[in-house]
Amino acid sequence: MAERTPVYIHAAAALGPHGDAVAAERVRLATDPAPFELKELVKRVVGAPLRQASHLVELAAVGSQLCLKRLPYAAPENTAVYVGTGLAEVRKTGALFHQVFPPGPGMASPFDFINAANNMAAFYVAKLGNFRARNLTVTQEEFSFEWALKLALDDLHAGSFRQALVGGIDENSQPRATHLRRIRLRDDQPMGEGAGFLYLSRERSHARGQLLAVRRLPAGAGLADALAATVRELRHADEDVELLPGFRLEPVEVAALGRALPQARIDPYLETCGCFHTAAAFGLAARLDKPRRALAIHVNRDLVGRAMLIVARIESDPTTTLL
Amino acid sequence: MTAIRIRGLGLVSSYGIGLARAVEGLRAGRDGITPLTLFRLPFQDQIKVNQFDHSPFPPGEASAPAILEAAVSEALAAAGVEAAALREAALVIGTGGYLFAAEAEYRRVLAESGATSEPALRAPGYVAQRVADDLGIGGPVLTLSTACSSSANALLVAADLIRRGEVARALVLGVEGLSQIALSGFHSLMLLDPAGCRPFDGARRGMQLGEAVAAVLLEAEASEHATGDALLGGANLCDIHHVTSAAPDGSAMRAVMEMALADAGLAANDITVIKAHGTGSPDNDSAEAAAMRGLFGERLPPFTGLKRYLGHTLGACGAVELAAFLGCLRAGFIPPTAGCTQPDPELRVTPLAAVQPARTGPVMLNFFGFGGNYASLIVRHG
Repeated sequence: MAERTPVYIHAAAALGPHGDAVAAERVRLATDPAPFELKELVKRVVGAPLRQASHLVELAAVGSQLCLKRLPYAAPENTAVYVGTGLAEVRKTGALFHQVFPPGPGMASPFDFINAANNMAAFYVAKLGNFRARNLTVTQEEFSFEWALKLALDDLHAGSFRQALVGGIDENSQPRATHLRRIRLRDDQPMGEGAGFLYLSRERSHARGQLLAVRRLPAGAGLADALAATVRELRHADEDVELLPGFRLEPVEVAALGRALPQARIDPYLETCGCFHTAAAFGLAARLDKPRRALAIHVNRDLVGRAMLIVARIESDPTTTLL
Repeated sequence: MTAIRIRGLGLVSSYGIGLARAVEGLRAGRDGITPLTLFRLPFQDQIKVNQFDHSPFPPGEASAPAILEAAVSEALAAAGVEAAALREAALVIGTGGYLFAAEAEYRRVLAESGATSEPALRAPGYVAQRVADDLGIGGPVLTLSTACSSSANALLVAADLIRRGEVARALVLGVEGLSQIALSGFHSLMLLDPAGCRPFDGARRGMQLGEAVAAVLLEAEASEHATGDALLGGANLCDIHHVTSAAPDGSAMRAVMEMALADAGLAANDITVIKAHGTGSPDNDSAEAAAMRGLFGERLPPFTGLKRYLGHTLGACGAVELAAFLGCLRAGFIPPTAGCTQPDPELRVTPLAAVQPARTGPVMLNFFGFGGNYASLIVRHG
């Protein structure tokens, strides 16, 4: 089989539930994050308010623009956009129910209706970035971001596009008990929200990391064995290994994976963003904030045991030549 | 570009369960407009809809998987494929979401208890996983939600999964149900035509919403000289002009059609017929007409719109209109554009006004959605 063209990570940005955008601003969550108003941050990052934009669109706008601002060059127009979101516009959709059904007024607000379209965030990402290429919104519960990333990776490998902006976004909602039921969280898990964006390219220059693989494991596959095999296959000699466990993994499973991979350092990124379907995007993008060379592996599973892995090589210094 | 064979088609629409019923209706030139009985709206008398018969399906949240499985059964039977053959297949669903299912559950609880509740909003991917589990699908499962181009994009993504060797077979579903919220939202935006959809007509005023589910079974083509219906290529892009309206000169629509032709390795004059998006909304039809004029010039092939027959099925329309259109072509005819009685002279293009015999060759199908999400498919018929 022919060697596939490598895909590099040129920039990344993670926006946490307190509007935190860099490692120094992260706050460790003891419980659910307090509601955070993004309007001021939108003005500062985007340069203008986004009138009528939903909270989810604001998360996407700030996350994607932060990522693009960290690029050392202007992203070209033919950048493809892939957005993963698990619950999508849950707040706007909930609001529409209260407008349309009794005892509401019976009619939908046109702005809320437009904003409730699941692809609205991806539209704003493209509009603010001036991108006129492929634009996909993937929504597949725990694996929404993983699938967005895999589609992007495959398109880049195939040469369909030379660069792509890939993100994961989700918002939380109230009441808490309803939200926990919607995404089937345990009561002890903080319901988080946030955004994570990666700018990917086939070009080696400016690389801060390399996206090596997005893999799907069938239900019943042993996670520890799959991780060990991945490390054996992709780790460079003397390279550190970091494991980013997803929100569906129970603490006991994480501990077991740690024992199975004694050389791996566990990155407990969920402590700063809370739990949501696309937390993987936050975790991976936030890891890029830290200039520490490692093979980073994100792992999550769904409720019946199917798992997906994201494997990336992260460089210690953006100027380092990869490989 | 490797062609992807279109094996089986299944359709649940306002014409009934089964593709043949829809094809029969389209051949007769009979629109699929029905009374709206699922729920009451304050503007009930000011709209036209295409509602299917829900009586064979369970109520509430369970309705969506059951309706999907009806379409899947037809597609598998048409392809002569057992459900067991889907074990390693991919399932890709295109939908605007499952508002209709959440609403059905909300109405059920309200009717039973008399109390309002928090809506049963689920991640749209939930239904895909449930259907995959019911069908024993162990391959990739994903849901695309890109407004009215959702299931056209699902077809493109599924074709890529096959071309890249991820799977040998993929089941694509387009799903949309009538929703009180969607009807109310489009009514608030003044985008529903009280007379129903009149694509490219001088008096057009907007859309007519419908509900339908379609299943399309795709497989790798056995040889490059194969015949039969196949997906030759396609494209998707974002028109960043405006969140709800197209670039008026049709430039982005033309661009996606050009990209689709390039992907299929074809030229504009290879296209034998176009299935237009044709929503009947003044601005979108105008932009679409400009795009077709610009791309095809004097050699514009016959084109038609299906949305008065089937309703605008939003996220489902990619798969639904592909299934219905191919069904008609296989039956030997191109359906005329129902609802267009006086073509708009300002558009300077005229949609098909009468049934025409179908011929084999490449076909273009276009889908343009909110959020500027556009998709164009190139299909070989015959």
